[in-house]
Amino acid sequence: MAYQVCIDIGGTFTDCLVSDSGGNISIFKSPTTPGEFEKGFINVLHVAAGGYGLSPADFMRQIDLIVHGSTVSTNALVERKTVKAGLLLTEGHQDILVLREGPRKGAFQWKLDYPEPYVPRHLTRTVGGRIDARGRELTPLSVDDVTSAAADFRELGVEAVAVGLLWSVVNPDHELMVRSILEKELPGIPITLSHEINPMPREYKRIIAAAIDASINPIVRNYIEKLKLALDEAGFAGELLLANCVGGMMPLADMIRKPIYSVMSGPTLAPMAALALSDEPDIIVGDMGGTTFDVSALRDHQIIITPDSMIHDDSLGIPKVDVRSVGAGGGSIAFVDQGGLLQVGPRSAGARPGPACYAKGGTEPTVTDANVVLGIVDPDYFLGGKMKLDRTLAEQAVGKVAERLGVSLQEAAYAIYTTSNHNMVAAIEEITVREGINPRDSFFVCGGGATAIHIAEMADILGLKRYMIPRFMAGLSAFGGLISDIRKEESAVLLTSDASFNVEGVNDVLKKLVEAGDSFLAEAGVEPANRQFEFAFLGRYEYQSFEIEVPFEPKEAALSAGDLPALVESFHRMHERIYSIRADNDVVEFTAWKLRAIGKRSGQDIWQKNTLGDQAGPVEPKAHRGIYQQETRRVEDLAVYEMAELGAGAQLAGPCLVEAETFTAYLKDQHHGEIDRYGNLVVTVA
Amino acid sequence: MDSTSKPELDTSERRVDPFLMSVLKSRFEAIVREMTLVVMRASRSAVIKNARDFSCAILTYDHKLVSVEDALPIHVMSMDMATRPLTELFDDVSQGDIFLNNCPFTGGTHHADLIMAMPVFFDGEPLFWVVALSHHADTGAPVPSTYLPFAKNIFEEGLHFPCVRVAQNYQEKKDILRIGTMRNRVPDMWLGDVRAQIGACRTGERRIGELFARYGRDTILGFVEDWFDYGARCARAAIARLPAGTYSYETRHDPVPGVAEEGIPVRVTIDVDPQKGEIVVDVRDNIDNVPGGLNLSENTATGSCRIGVFNNLDESIPHNEGAKSQIKVLLREGSAIGKPKYPVGTSVATTNVNDRLMIAGNCVFSRMGAPYGQAESGSHLPAGVGVISGLDPFKNGKSYVNQVFVGYAGGGARSGYDGWLTYCGPANAGLIQLDSVEVDESMYPIVIERRGVLPGSQGFGEYEGAPAVGGVFYPLDHDMTVVYAADGTSFPPRGVLGGGDGKRSETIKQLPDGGRVVLPAFSEETIENGARIEFTACGGGGYGDPLRRDPARVAATVNRGWLSPQDAERVYKVALAEGLQIGVYVVDEARTATLRAA
Repeated sequence: MAYQVCIDIGGTFTDCLVSDSGGNISIFKSPTTPGEFEKGFINVLHVAAGGYGLSPADFMRQIDLIVHGSTVSTNALVERKTVKAGLLLTEGHQDILVLREGPRKGAFQWKLDYPEPYVPRHLTRTVGGRIDARGRELTPLSVDDVTSAAADFRELGVEAVAVGLLWSVVNPDHELMVRSILEKELPGIPITLSHEINPMPREYKRIIAAAIDASINPIVRNYIEKLKLALDEAGFAGELLLANCVGGMMPLADMIRKPIYSVMSGPTLAPMAALALSDEPDIIVGDMGGTTFDVSALRDHQIIITPDSMIHDDSLGIPKVDVRSVGAGGGSIAFVDQGGLLQVGPRSAGARPGPACYAKGGTEPTVTDANVVLGIVDPDYFLGGKMKLDRTLAEQAVGKVAERLGVSLQEAAYAIYTTSNHNMVAAIEEITVREGINPRDSFFVCGGGATAIHIAEMADILGLKRYMIPRFMAGLSAFGGLISDIRKEESAVLLTSDASFNVEGVNDVLKKLVEAGDSFLAEAGVEPANRQFEFAFLGRYEYQSFEIEVPFEPKEAALSAGDLPALVESFHRMHERIYSIRADNDVVEFTAWKLRAIGKRSGQDIWQKNTLGDQAGPVEPKAHRGIYQQETRRVEDLAVYEMAELGAGAQLAGPCLVEAETFTAYLKDQHHGEIDRYGNLVVTVA
Repeated sequence: MDSTSKPELDTSERRVDPFLMSVLKSRFEAIVREMTLVVMRASRSAVIKNARDFSCAILTYDHKLVSVEDALPIHVMSMDMATRPLTELFDDVSQGDIFLNNCPFTGGTHHADLIMAMPVFFDGEPLFWVVALSHHADTGAPVPSTYLPFAKNIFEEGLHFPCVRVAQNYQEKKDILRIGTMRNRVPDMWLGDVRAQIGACRTGERRIGELFARYGRDTILGFVEDWFDYGARCARAAIARLPAGTYSYETRHDPVPGVAEEGIPVRVTIDVDPQKGEIVVDVRDNIDNVPGGLNLSENTATGSCRIGVFNNLDESIPHNEGAKSQIKVLLREGSAIGKPKYPVGTSVATTNVNDRLMIAGNCVFSRMGAPYGQAESGSHLPAGVGVISGLDPFKNGKSYVNQVFVGYAGGGARSGYDGWLTYCGPANAGLIQLDSVEVDESMYPIVIERRGVLPGSQGFGEYEGAPAVGGVFYPLDHDMTVVYAADGTSFPPRGVLGGGDGKRSETIKQLPDGGRVVLPAFSEETIENGARIEFTACGGGGYGDPLRRDPARVAATVNRGWLSPQDAERVYKVALAEGLQIGVYVVDEARTATLRAA
């Protein structure tokens, strides 16, 4: 028996999803071990071994592949526990990370201090030397400035250095010279060059990425090395791949070279799971947990990459899979403000004290408390009955909101429920509107433990007609890891336009990108037949400063002058799709060229072998439960079905509830569910 | 929740269920956000896209402000004035119409802010306006700028559209738009930006239509009234916590030769009535219209008077009609800070003197003593945000003209907080994006040689103003024109309650031979090939006595590189010592105690 494993480290639990060679999937859990994540990693593998009745050593030997979404870099950034990194900038521009592009604030928000730069001033140095937008050297690099900065960095004890010089993306000579000097002056210190880590012609985004990359470099390297050692000692001889934030897996060596790609990689696996679970072109993926609701989308069955991810007050800089987070989870706290308006979140009761109904000392009303009051969540069957909830405490907490609003307890609970739904809907719209996806024509895939309670009403608000509650909804990200491709993005800047298209230059760039992508896949052990390349360019109309990404398919990875009209037309079309406007007479500018190198793994699709037996006989509810309905303002008895009792093809008519060990699904009136052959619940709204 | 004041809501006055309040509030906000995204993404000019110099809003058909999200306060606080004339001037407003208004004498802000308004009908009845305002790069004025301090009257300004129908039955009126493109230096960009606004209006119209279909007319209109009541309750509660009284403040805009030789004093008096929860802002005691473009429009004067107040109230108050109604504004016709007398120039009505009016509004609350009010902030249009133009040598001499945002002024301090660095001016409230050096340099044939914080330029105080930002930029292989109006050159931002002044604005031309020429504060200058322009955008004023500043804050400012250890000791009486790391200072507690005791 050969196993494939995905390990996903969460705040409380480390999840382990295991697929056997028959495609049967099981989930195992073990407490996360902060500070020494590799311990929890090994522990959960031991738990899994027990689950299969194997000794840890036997189990380890039978694992072909472990894929893993590391959280060390995300945690280091969130907790501001990165290493001391030095930063080298162009003379006259020492404040690039101070000014950013103007940090965001509210129009009437004045009670705040200006955020500190990611790299403090005493670790920042500037060097003489300047390249212009056309790559011409205006001033030569001052070698003296570089050596003197190196001496300062040595004395300051920096553990990594980021180099961010203006226009290094069109002429990297100065950054390359800086590196060769620093390598001599600071042997053994990792150096990140901005044009290598994030080649885009927008200095703040490029350089913040370099600074973040440098500041987590030793942390990621150290973690990977420790993990490798622990797995070696445990007798693991298979392959280990790490999730990156562009929607795929990378071998260890690549992650060590560009550690920033590990940042926020976990949540990016949810859309990867959706990619495999459905063939629909446009898919929205929502993952509601305890404190946040993460939303992502697929357009034309492609993951969406954004350049706008934030971490604290800074951009992450690099493009990553677009996953947006809002403070709307089961633990989000409801309150009535001084003007009498109900608000839910973003403050959360978290895991401790948690919602009032957890009976761990929480007294403030949360979304989960409202769901208990409404009857959707059964206090005796939470997590399959492993955790009892206290309905009275939920009622007391929600009662405070009811009193302030002057409505009944159940009306207040519904108000909390629907307000929370609208907060999530706003997050969904933010991403769909931005990406030109019409929710009405989209398919929605639920992830996380709580989404299925809320999806039906959200679907009605959005006009969504179809959604899926996957069998492994609660472990959707880990499932995504298990079925992910090997994937990496390469990009390069080449500014040209349709007014004078530089076809040789573009082909030169494409050739280099393909070489880089191919050697990445070769190093990752992907057979040539399983290597795929996707191309895209970033384009804009003249004087428009935000680019959009447009895919294209060059023949033999090269363009000819005759391809230009098609390229320009695809830009116009994408622009029209996203912004409902096209400008045929305008000059179209091309700024950057991207290649997505994709490697297919053997055994990636094995889960599809494991199909569910057909539903035998009529579908019977296991119970009935009273659920408050706002439309009639009455508690109405709804059928409750047990997911584990349903076979493929089983039909369910809403309104009803479907319970599984790890989730509760609430189907509203006119929502018709059917279990598909993989055991997922697919719902169609009439 | 605030326990000291609970404006109990009377549930009997409620028109819609409480859950619908939260729901519809978030629906309207989502619509404005979506409109904003459409403008943001589809617009061409840097002023709109990079600098986010645009706003969207929803008003009722009888011109009450419902919802604004991510808007620039100055654009939307008096948006009702821009739509009101539409229902007075037209008796045939129909579904599918879009109107264009950029005329300050028909309720516009200034000539460069093109306001597009579209009525929203339901069952044949007009019920809302959706509005998209964008600041355009060019409006065909005699000078390649949208800010013309010397333009005495509208005949010296760009093209005015005093409430003109530009779309009918969902079709653009090409003849009208042709008037706009013909009289424009960058016609393609202008039309692209106009169409982005049209796209936003149509999006808003469609989405509100969907709301009506889902919730019905009565629920939506009931919600709007409840929503206004909510805004009014929140504003009343906030005003109830202020000390009653009448307070005045005066600031002064710089002299502008030929327009206002002595500068323009700006006086604001507020009357605070905590019992009624109401504030009256009176600006009638100000000078008459000046012969130039610095006069305010009725729209901006009214809006700015309210913005100063809102800047001093809790940020969570919804800035809707209800909240606005608790702030009464008294203007005088014919005053530079009031309602302009036709056909006087108002080209600079959204910045400069208007900034000074908001600054006065921010500061007048400091007359109540700490912790109220804030210090003066820097204001608009130093050369770092000038309008640049020329013939691009890398594009076969194609002409370019646009406002850049290379560097702009810092914010004033308030109790508890230092000033905001990327502030720009009160009209923008720190929302304007700062240009990327590389994006500017790839778009225009220029080099930005330096741009950054000028240490020691902040107004000192218990809380410090933001430091000034300065820079140098120059044209590559051609001559470049820069138009700017650098207020704060003569009268820099003042501190309050013992706080110091921020650094003044400066504009200098660096000649190829190394010479330096100080340029006028308000000018159109040619920077020849080989020459450079150097600018300083004001620092913000300080709040409170510097000797009360927390020594830890002083050390942090020094470590940020914004203050020298010598100035820390001289100004703040805080002694610093080198810490464990080079370049990181720590407070020498003992010596500081001695210095401060002396």
